[in-house]
Amino acid sequence: MSLVERITSFADAKVWYGNLPIESLYTVGIAGEKFFRAIKDRGVIMGSVCPSCNLTYLPPMMYCERCFAELEEWVEVGTKGTVYTYTVVGVSLGGAPLEQPEILALIKIEGAHGGLVHRLGEVKPEETEIGMPVEAVLKPKKDREGSILDIKHFKPA
Amino acid sequence: MAMRKVAVVGAGMTKFMRRAQETGRELAFQASRMALDSCEMTLDDIDAVALGTAPDAFDGLHMKGEYLSDGAGAWHKPYMRCYVGGGTGVFAAIQGWYHVASGLFDTCLVVCEEKMSSCQPHPQGAFITIFDHTTERALKPNLVWIFALEMNRYMTVHGIEKKDIARVAVKNKRNALDHPCAQLAADITVEDVLNSEVLAWPVQRLDISPTSDGAVAIVMAAEHVAKRITDKPAWVRGVGWSLDTAYWTSRDLYYPKYVEYAARMAYDMAGITEPRKEIHVVEPYDPFDYKELHHLEGLLLADKGDAARLTAEGVTARDGNMPVCPSGGMLGVGNPIAAAGLMKVSEIFWQLRGEAGKRQVPGQPQTGLAQSWGDLMQVGCVVILGV
Repeated sequence: MSLVERITSFADAKVWYGNLPIESLYTVGIAGEKFFRAIKDRGVIMGSVCPSCNLTYLPPMMYCERCFAELEEWVEVGTKGTVYTYTVVGVSLGGAPLEQPEILALIKIEGAHGGLVHRLGEVKPEETEIGMPVEAVLKPKKDREGSILDIKHFKPA
Repeated sequence: MAMRKVAVVGAGMTKFMRRAQETGRELAFQASRMALDSCEMTLDDIDAVALGTAPDAFDGLHMKGEYLSDGAGAWHKPYMRCYVGGGTGVFAAIQGWYHVASGLFDTCLVVCEEKMSSCQPHPQGAFITIFDHTTERALKPNLVWIFALEMNRYMTVHGIEKKDIARVAVKNKRNALDHPCAQLAADITVEDVLNSEVLAWPVQRLDISPTSDGAVAIVMAAEHVAKRITDKPAWVRGVGWSLDTAYWTSRDLYYPKYVEYAARMAYDMAGITEPRKEIHVVEPYDPFDYKELHHLEGLLLADKGDAARLTAEGVTARDGNMPVCPSGGMLGVGNPIAAAGLMKVSEIFWQLRGEAGKRQVPGQPQTGLAQSWGDLMQVGCVVILGV
């Protein structure tokens, strides 16, 4: 069969659906445990510090990827940062238009190496700018479950 | 071929366990750091990193090689992940070897990680998709019953009884009692194996290694560096690997020809003409008890169908003439797929250096062999180390 005559519809060929019958059960890990407990219990964002490389990892790591030290020192990095870059998402994963476009941003926090990817809220797409100061809005303590979504979004600060 | 001499100079491993709190990359870090510490090296001393890890579906992470890279010490370094199914652990050491033997790098950190506990309800859910989706998958194949087909064929062709195979599980789980990282060490009897739950005849619960989380790392170095690092380098004397047809249904299931080809390649490289005399300690791949026997035969360390007798007569015991899986193997130490294969290379490294503690085989072994098996039951990987 040549390319121009190829089957283009499922109905024209014998096909069937299959899946990978698994679910994934993730652990947050040693560093993740501390990071998410701090958000859940105390509403603070923490980074882990490598004194020899002079880096504060965010999200925190249990080791320094550069010098392989096991990181013992942890600091609060605050809940304020700036928008490093952002996008306005208009369609869902499947390609359908979203009723409410979402603003996704990479947020850098001063003094921290890395950053957090999160939603921006309480701001319109046309008001969003790179370099804009933002701060984390946390869910009420009773609703927090030790997930990155315990941070509802970042809003203009 | 002008290839440089390469040695293993350090090794480290995490405990193998049912479910680790650590993430995969944290496990990789722990093993890598232990391996470096064991030979007093730092990441600055490492020129390249070779990573081995089995299906992405286990950890529930696609691009697992990329995910694990920082924990494996690959930041700003040449880095590559290899994957040949269950054969990955020993193949990763081969990959590390050719990185250094080629002259491209003086040192290579080789890291293998697996976190199978992420895969629910069971990693068999991922394995189902390694089979042909048209001719086999509708029958819901899993590795237990596919290997049961192979085991039955092996037993029937040679007239081997189940109890003679069960001795391997007994030996390995007992050996593992002396391994500080072991997950399934146990003092069991042949009767315990024969009375355990039948999963897919002739495979029973105690014939099989568990699913595990864990990581292992080794450091490989070129001759001039190795001699500076340690006075006990374990030289890579030979490597071999071979892949049989993708149509597992067209193979002679009773005998792993691909293991023989891999072994012959490694023996030739090592200049070994009488492996039964020249190999002093062996770590063949033992995810199932019959596989240890199957592989000893493929490695030409036992006549076809005769490995069970060697086991019954104690030849393969830790203090026997040819100790086999003195570590406790995957049946006893555990089976985080890629990490389990590299654990076998590490065990040979420790045995040859006299550093295996309570697991040490007597007689100061000079040459040892590690082997793994994988893909769709068709790849054999062999590494021979010598001091």
